[in-house]
Amino acid sequence: SISASAASEADAEELQREQHARSVLRESFLRCLLSMNNKKVQFHMHENVKVDATFGASDIDVLNFQVSNLHTPIGVQKEALIRSQDVISFTFDL
Amino acid sequence: MLCGWSLLGPLQWIRYVHKQVRVKAGKDEELCGWLLTVDPVSASLVLMDFREEGTLMQVVMGHAVEEVQVLQEADKETADRLRSSFLPLRTCSLDP
Repeated sequence: SISASAASEADAEELQREQHARSVLRESFLRCLLSMNNKKVQFHMHENVKVDATFGASDIDVLNFQVSNLHTPIGVQKEALIRSQDVISFTFDL
Repeated sequence: MLCGWSLLGPLQWIRYVHKQVRVKAGKDEELCGWLLTVDPVSASLVLMDFREEGTLMQVVMGHAVEEVQVLQEADKETADRLRSSFLPLRTCSLDP
């Protein structure tokens, strides 16, 4: 029917706008990730735990962060993976 | 907005870009800054805070976001600053 095809056209347009927004946001985020490489970051985790480390990389779905020289309360871990689920936020200076 | 941040989607997230926001995250964390972008995969926010001693970057994980509140729109100077922050040296936009 006409209304159905008009609806699917509108859906396609909406999808295209959404995909465009997605790509703009993601590109900007990836550039930001690139700039974090080798930066000193502070992770804010649950229970008000704050740890310092040198940022390495993140996997594509942002589930883990690879860091170096992780300063934990029981010593410095040379290399580590931090699960993003354990992190609330992290900060660094540009 | 209760725990709905991750579900908003790109068309909603992009409306917050280049605005100054206050984000409540986790149990008692509150962050303020200009929103640079939202990762569409993890819904994480990237905030920039321009200070005299340098720019502080804050990344808030999407899963921890409790509430996002818009404080103000960027003036031209701030918008330009945000836009030019992470451009590559040779400008090659991937945006068609």
